Amino acid sequence: MRPGRVGFLLVTLGLPLAFYLGLVVWPFIQAFGYSLTNWTGFSGNFDVIGLDNYVTLWNDEVFRRAVINNILLVTVVPLVTITLALALATMLTVGGASSGAVRGLSRSSFYRVVSFFPYTIPAIVIGLIWAQNFDPSNGLINGALTSIGLSGFESYPWLGDARTAMPVSMFVIIWAFVGFYMVLFVAAIKGIPAELYDAARVDGAGRIRMTFTITVPMIRDNVQTAYIYLGIFALDAFVYMQALNPGGGPQNSTLVMPQVLYETAFRKNQFGLASAMGVVLALLTLFFAVLVILAFRLTRGKDPR
Amino acid sequence: MTDSRSMPNRRNVLRLAFAAGVGLSASSALTSCATSGGDEDTGGKATGGGAKADAKNPFGIKDGATGTSVIFNGGWGIDYVTFAAKMFEKTHGGKFEVKPSTQISQQLQPRFVGKNPPDLIDNSGANKIGLNAIVDQLEDLNDVLDANNLEGKPIKDTLYPGAKSPGTIDGKLIAINYVQTVFAIWYSASLFQENDWTPPKTWDEAYELGGKAKSKGKFLFLWGKEAATYYQTLVIGSAIKEGGDDVRLALENLDKDGWSHPAVQGAIKGLEKIIKAGYMKPGGAGTQFTQAQAQWSRSQEALLYPSGSWIENEMKKQTKSGFKMTGAPEMTETGSSKMPLTALHAAADEAFIVPSDGKNPASAKEVLRIMLSKEAAANFAKTKLTPTIVKDTVPTDGFGSTALQSQTKLLEDAGKDVFTFNFVNLYGTNQDQLVPWNSFLSGKIDAAGLTKSLQAISDKVRNDSSVKKAKVT
Repeated sequence: MRPGRVGFLLVTLGLPLAFYLGLVVWPFIQAFGYSLTNWTGFSGNFDVIGLDNYVTLWNDEVFRRAVINNILLVTVVPLVTITLALALATMLTVGGASSGAVRGLSRSSFYRVVSFFPYTIPAIVIGLIWAQNFDPSNGLINGALTSIGLSGFESYPWLGDARTAMPVSMFVIIWAFVGFYMVLFVAAIKGIPAELYDAARVDGAGRIRMTFTITVPMIRDNVQTAYIYLGIFALDAFVYMQALNPGGGPQNSTLVMPQVLYETAFRKNQFGLASAMGVVLALLTLFFAVLVILAFRLTRGKDPR
Repeated sequence: MTDSRSMPNRRNVLRLAFAAGVGLSASSALTSCATSGGDEDTGGKATGGGAKADAKNPFGIKDGATGTSVIFNGGWGIDYVTFAAKMFEKTHGGKFEVKPSTQISQQLQPRFVGKNPPDLIDNSGANKIGLNAIVDQLEDLNDVLDANNLEGKPIKDTLYPGAKSPGTIDGKLIAINYVQTVFAIWYSASLFQENDWTPPKTWDEAYELGGKAKSKGKFLFLWGKEAATYYQTLVIGSAIKEGGDDVRLALENLDKDGWSHPAVQGAIKGLEKIIKAGYMKPGGAGTQFTQAQAQWSRSQEALLYPSGSWIENEMKKQTKSGFKMTGAPEMTETGSSKMPLTALHAAADEAFIVPSDGKNPASAKEVLRIMLSKEAAANFAKTKLTPTIVKDTVPTDGFGSTALQSQTKLLEDAGKDVFTFNFVNLYGTNQDQLVPWNSFLSGKIDAAGLTKSLQAISDKVRNDSSVKKAKVT
């Protein structure tokens, strides 16, 4: 092999691989190692206690609650966000006048910019602003509701009532993400040859029909990627939940795994247990990604690949 | 042309690199893994000390001695430590570094593991280290209190009663808590005067006052979601005054039925009656605590607020002018309690710790000794409008602050009857306790439900063999 080639390979493959192994794979293995110990995090001493931490987690009501909350998030957030984003993207690209060439609503570029706005604001700011809006006494939401005569909403704690805290938190997350995925889908839809839509229209297809028989099948790869990204995010959701309800919400109704993990590691000094939580979270994330990929593969239908 | 078979193909290169990578990280793991910082002696370990110790220089600080510190940069800032560090440098000619931080636990965790922590740490703020994890790695600071201060008096004779207890675990003084805090029920003296009200001495009086407040369109209490456990602090303080030391020990040692103690139940039921009557402003479980506090101090929607004496400083910008913030002692159940009504839940705050693995523990102790001198303590009281654990540094006019005046008076009235409790901080259970407290204050669960949840939290810690317990006597 020519020396130049070895150098090239080392730089292009060796370096990234070394980084990947050192900064990604190795910490994973380490975390798993610590999850088998009772390490307190502040000294070099610990005992290996086998799978005790996992047993503790299994029996821990609070952690189980957090897992359930994460699963709720991962079921609802991607589904609603992608449905909304797809609907909006369709409006902006093929939802326009039903005569002439297929096009989006008028002023669609304006709508596109406006709905992208939330994504440009840092997540923590979004969380804090919405927390203010939902404030029971001085919040915009209750102010608006009471001013139209719904006096039952005077000091109603949206984020402090176990019935509404989770839906409200989901709403905030979805609000923040819809714009971005809409823009993503717009770009994908623009990549579909316009002739397909024109042909469909000549054949008499309406907008709904076009959406389901042309748009969705043509951009299913984008949808799948979006679904996985959003799912991984929903399994975390740390920033929003921390901003909206740092304590995990009423009756722990918005508590998510990373919050429990953080609390366990840095407030209770149980780094071993926290590592076990990290491992559970990683496994759940992997499981989710595999599930989504499988689901998309199974529903591919006759489309050969 | 080279023979193509001698060319490594991409897959083989990857495989090789992968194997090399795994081997590399595995071998480096043995030498530099995060927790393998061995016990090898660093050789000539500086101590900051070394010179001959005497009454004027109890830790034997050499000329040119150095030291480092990480100080929580919160409500009090770091300038009061810099003040002491300057005095250290002037006396000993060395350099004592003062670095601010708001992430004490996250920043110092790797340094503790790596055995190179700073010499002095102000362990405070939301991200403080749970001290029971590092008890064995901290210096016993009893020798600082035994030493003479700069004015030549033994430091232990200059402190408020009870100053030592929050930093003592199993007889070892692991932390000197510098700032004196009293827990009380705060109200506006001017508002009370206008309406001819008096602060309640018992839970029944509080209930009656709630009725009077209601007729004025006000609530008795309010709360914010992150601070729901301020009412837990009130309930425990009230119960300890009612039932005496038994109550404190039962809770501190996580007894099986600690929360069922009659005195604790009396206080919880007293509060329950107030909540059921609608004297607690609704919606607190969804309100940020500073917002809730502003509803008390600015719009005066509620009369009373249980809190520590930091409340004046915290709400300074959001307090109605002429509010005359004043503290009243926490009420008891019957008025014929084991401790007098003037007994006070007062605790020192801002824990200064000295890690044994630091390079110059003696320098750190010397800086603490300087901070506990009259000059440095008076400087703190004057600039922060809050007393330190050093007595008699606040003039009677409280630098013009009614809250500070009342704090001094509360401490004087209490005399020796000062108590505190530690188990919430020690075991880091506040977060878990917030959940039932928010439900209870919202009226979603009753006294029995609250008791059950709180007991479950104590039981969980007691039964967890991985958590180190401190025996309190």
